[in-house]
Amino acid sequence: MLCGISRETAPADMASSDSIPVPVESEAPTDATRAVVLPLEPVRDYPGALVVVEGIDGSGKSTQLYLLKRWLEIGGYRLHFTEWNSSPLVKSATRRGKQRRLLTPTTFSLLHAADFADRCERQILPLLHGGYLVLADRYIYTAFARDVARGCSPRWLRNLYRFAPVPDITFYFRAPLDVAVNRILAGRPKLKYYEAGMDLNLSLDRAESFRLFQGRILANYDEMIESDNFVVMDGTLPVNKLQRQMREIAQTRVNLSRFAPKKAARMPR
Amino acid sequence: MKRSRKGANGRAAAAKMRSYGLPLPGMKEDESLGGTLIVLEGTDGSGRSTQISLLTEWLESEGFAVETMGLRRSGLVARDIDALLAENTITRMTLTLMYATDFFDQLEHRILPALRSDFVVLADRYFYTLIARAAARGIQRDYLLGLYEMALRPDLTFWLNVGPQAAFEREFKKSHTISYWESGRDMSLSNDLFQSFIKYQAKMKKEFELLADRHNFVAIDGEASVSSVNRELRRRIAALLGIQRTQYKPSAALASLWR
Repeated sequence: MLCGISRETAPADMASSDSIPVPVESEAPTDATRAVVLPLEPVRDYPGALVVVEGIDGSGKSTQLYLLKRWLEIGGYRLHFTEWNSSPLVKSATRRGKQRRLLTPTTFSLLHAADFADRCERQILPLLHGGYLVLADRYIYTAFARDVARGCSPRWLRNLYRFAPVPDITFYFRAPLDVAVNRILAGRPKLKYYEAGMDLNLSLDRAESFRLFQGRILANYDEMIESDNFVVMDGTLPVNKLQRQMREIAQTRVNLSRFAPKKAARMPR
Repeated sequence: MKRSRKGANGRAAAAKMRSYGLPLPGMKEDESLGGTLIVLEGTDGSGRSTQISLLTEWLESEGFAVETMGLRRSGLVARDIDALLAENTITRMTLTLMYATDFFDQLEHRILPALRSDFVVLADRYFYTLIARAAARGIQRDYLLGLYEMALRPDLTFWLNVGPQAAFEREFKKSHTISYWESGRDMSLSNDLFQSFIKYQAKMKKEFELLADRHNFVAIDGEASVSSVNRELRRRIAALLGIQRTQYKPSAALASLWR
């Protein structure tokens, strides 16, 4: 039932010369390791690189991305950090929709896509073309996992986000449902309506609704591991151990020296 | 009378798919709707809103409940789009998706319930305009068709066809200026406002021709008089709804539109 989320279902024939949404296939990859690790990925036509983290709430992804960012920042690397659902442009609409509970699965999804489009067109793409390393806390896979859980069509969603550049690495932080949910419930006693998936009528109890909703999202993420080349990270490992793994993988899969400060072009310690 | 209309509409609805491939979440694929969806498309200055006012009065006098929709009229994001259009930071994908949000908000919250309740819905523009605008700005057509795959298929779509020159004259007469977006100024077509308007409208017309073909638009000469355009619209709609008598004279309130 959920297999439709995988990228194979995206419309195949979308090449057209004068228009944006799809990355153009051209040129050989600049980074040999990338070609080996991700043979099926469309080739990126910009000098920058995109590294994203995904996972359900409480999986530890934001902490890990923060630590990766700090490591590179301290080393003076050229990077930009971006978060899901953070464009000021559509903030008021999202807030209004949530407060008055006006959002349907379709409009919820479209508003987030508009938000992403704004960041994509005004930040992510220009920075990738300008040779930046872009770190994203949540990316389009969040929409695929969550909006499908709300009842949106996977085919429609894959088309909707076709304009998004494909990440160089997608770290998927995977923690068992109970571990992740308990981390959230322990720290945040009051869950918001849409956050808890109350619009899905799964349960009248917010905590229980949240648990069921996150369970669906987790299953949807798992469906995408192979089709979208996720690098699965064990979210139950100690933070520093997990971070060491993340740094190693980042170095192996992306030529980080491209983003190093000009004078001291070496790996951060 | 009412019963026979409902029967006719019910059959028409059941005979064809209501979406373009995907049902809206929460809607059954074969759900038949009692109401009728009629779309008027056409550029600014083509007389759409005038005709909608007249048709609404005519249909109500014939005993039909009428609901209208248009672009930028949703409770959810209409105000936000207004604000975005007023500044020049918005990019084409974002604008495309904000308009899509506005469209689906109206469709799910107002139009679908109205059609389920037997209303005649008159749409002052539909997603076709949104596709034409976005495609004219270089967004792939198949992307846009996919975006609106869940939209409801109209029972009848009219295209009030007006040439760029006539559209320019009508717009200028109405507002004594030409708007930034209607002249496609965001596309840097020309620094001359008139040239920019004509070039943009020509691009839009090309997109509309593609859509007209694909979606069976009924093209109507929008440069004809209000009364003769209205007569042609009434003739087609009367045939669809099973209205026998199509005589109509606007009330005093709308008489000024009848020229």
